Amino acid sequence: MTRFEAMHGLAIKKFGTPAAVADLLGAPPEEVQAGLEAALAEGLAMGAKGAFMLTPKGQQALAAEYPAQFAAHRADPALSAGYERFEAVNTDLKQLITEWQTMTVAGETVPNDHSDADYDNRIIDRLGELHERAEPLLRGLAARLPRLGRYCERLSAALDKAEAGEIAFVSGAKIDSYHTVWFELHEDLLRVLDRSRDD
Amino acid sequence: MQARHTLLLDGASLPARELVGGKAWSLARMRALGLNVPPAFVVTTETCKQFHESGGVMPAGLMDEVMAGVAWLEKTTGRRLGAAQRPLLVSVRSGAPVSMPGMMDTVLNLGMSDDSELALARETGAPGFARDTHRRFCEMFARIVLRAEIGALDPSDGPAGWRAAIAARGCGEVPADPAAQLESAIRAVFHSWNGRRARKYRQHHGVPEAMGTAVTVQAMVFGNSDERSGTGVLFSRNPLTGDPVPYGEYLARAQGEDVVSGSHTPEGLDALARRMPEVHRELLSACAVLERDNGDVQDIEFTVERGRLYLLQARPAKRSPAAAVRCAVDMVREGRIGPPEALSRVSAEQVRLLLRPRLPAGFDPSAASFLARGEAASPGVGAGVVAADADEAERLHALGHAVVLARPTTSPEDVHGMLVAAAIATEKGGSTSHAAVVSRQLGVPCVVGCGEGALAGLAGRMVTVDGTSGRVFEGALPVEQPSAGSDPALAALLEWASAEAPLRVLPAGCGVPRATLDLDAIEGGEDPARTAGLLAGTRGASGSVFNTDAGVHAAVEAGLEFIVVREVLPALLAACAARRHAAAAA
Repeated sequence: MTRFEAMHGLAIKKFGTPAAVADLLGAPPEEVQAGLEAALAEGLAMGAKGAFMLTPKGQQALAAEYPAQFAAHRADPALSAGYERFEAVNTDLKQLITEWQTMTVAGETVPNDHSDADYDNRIIDRLGELHERAEPLLRGLAARLPRLGRYCERLSAALDKAEAGEIAFVSGAKIDSYHTVWFELHEDLLRVLDRSRDD
Repeated sequence: MQARHTLLLDGASLPARELVGGKAWSLARMRALGLNVPPAFVVTTETCKQFHESGGVMPAGLMDEVMAGVAWLEKTTGRRLGAAQRPLLVSVRSGAPVSMPGMMDTVLNLGMSDDSELALARETGAPGFARDTHRRFCEMFARIVLRAEIGALDPSDGPAGWRAAIAARGCGEVPADPAAQLESAIRAVFHSWNGRRARKYRQHHGVPEAMGTAVTVQAMVFGNSDERSGTGVLFSRNPLTGDPVPYGEYLARAQGEDVVSGSHTPEGLDALARRMPEVHRELLSACAVLERDNGDVQDIEFTVERGRLYLLQARPAKRSPAAAVRCAVDMVREGRIGPPEALSRVSAEQVRLLLRPRLPAGFDPSAASFLARGEAASPGVGAGVVAADADEAERLHALGHAVVLARPTTSPEDVHGMLVAAAIATEKGGSTSHAAVVSRQLGVPCVVGCGEGALAGLAGRMVTVDGTSGRVFEGALPVEQPSAGSDPALAALLEWASAEAPLRVLPAGCGVPRATLDLDAIEGGEDPARTAGLLAGTRGASGSVFNTDAGVHAAVEAGLEFIVVREVLPALLAACAARRHAAAAA
């Protein structure tokens, strides 16, 4: 675990404890802690209440290191192809999450207040199907960059909870919901491959 | 023949829900009420149980009984399964005694073959429709019964091409013989009972493994047969406003799928009243019967075939938060339900949505001049100083300003700024964009897709974002904070919920009792998962955690006497729900 890797994980978490960053990277917490403390000592990160975030200087330093650190991945056609497939599933996921949050009543879009279990269950069913479609694709990405395998485990864990009735794990913004983890993966891929999102 | 596996839903008796599942029971109930539903029979949950006990073998005699059931459908409808004249098509649906995820979706138009397609084309005078029905059947059968990954079939390939494309996926074929189609579909319903998702759900919710699912086989009716045919939906009350007046849509000469797919624009119910006043009258009277019988707002699917009304399905209607409140309170006043039932029909979340700030009633957003306009992505109104990035939003918020975050787009990097924003606006992206998804999750008003550069010059200016009309206005508009006390329906709920709730809920800012523990002042006090542990030994507490259902549940479980919150009614409703939950578990 290098200082760079710890900072990359923190950049995706934005504001997080070493344990949360370690969970995202699939790395030992004490090593992430050491990496983040090194960044702190250089003024590249700041800390509050046991959590860290990058300073503007840290953001710049990280961006400057990306081209060299990720040169091999950016030149890897298999990773690029995997990313394109991810984007296709990503479109479906965004549609699905939108249907999770809104519903159509008499032709108008209203917030889904989750009072209709049948409606919610159908969407969680579809999330399970989407996950089954995404798994081989995620395994393909992990074959090129093993650390990404951790996202697949975290997505499965979120799906498990949602399927067991903890519906906040579909798209809750402040927890490791399916949508939160998916977005972190998206952000990770954008940074590794030097892409930018459309919306 | 003594039927052991199937029951005809002929209205002669009301079968047990455990034996026929919820959907078939509801059909039987409609028949018992004297309403006209297309004829149907059901394969019982007992048979499903036998299927699984024997390791997935269709019980002896089952298919003979099923074909006898089909013969009854044929006799009743004057049609024949797979026939080259007046063909019978059926729907096959799963139905467990309790609603459960992961079960097989409905297969429509089963019995379709090349002969039936021709016959249907002749009968309806619409060969295009018959061909399309055939294609949709093949797609449904492949996806649902064979579980083959197929995309949309190419209409120009024709039936032989579709069947070949499906066979090429290696998951099996669409049988040409309607009886074989039926057997496969029934088998697939039984298998879906043991699907991963269904098993997991049962495990988690304590649903017995031995319950089993039933299979309902029902004759299809054709809303596109002639000018005196059509299809529609009817709500017994307006599902948007809760107005106690039936509200519906009708599409002449069409099948139900046409309404769902949005390929045709339906008309109001008066279109039906004009064409066939007697059918319209019968429909409204059926609607009244069903609402009275079920004691809740009904969502009814119906089809008219050659001037005859058929009810396809009736279930409690999905409704907007405003309608949920209005209907629950109205129904108590009409003497149909009691206050405890009304409280169970309105969730804390629904009331939270209703209590979001809004523009005053007299303000017309479409008439006012605006700075930017985009897609309404998350409802509500928020005003503040525009921050062009998340760090700036956090800084301004820390200085005590209300902030509107306005960005070209948002990403996970911006979430910390979104958390403190009174509203969010973006230049790019639509209703599925990151900004839209996260703002809905956070309950923050949001407008997306205002156009590239549309928000660029706004930093530092005071604006108001209306996430309902999709507009960004100059300055801080007067914003109305709805309160439970000023709305008669919410006030009624407030009174009932206060009487019912297992603890007292006090409004913040009105003098807090001395024994109050302030969870916001304790580390981890905002995390519902830790609330219970922190509450041991206290009489009452305050904190933002009680703005969530989970926090209130923890307070009820900890046996608190009172909690102090900003909004009383959502917390009371959550407390009532916690009490019901505990009673159900006991």
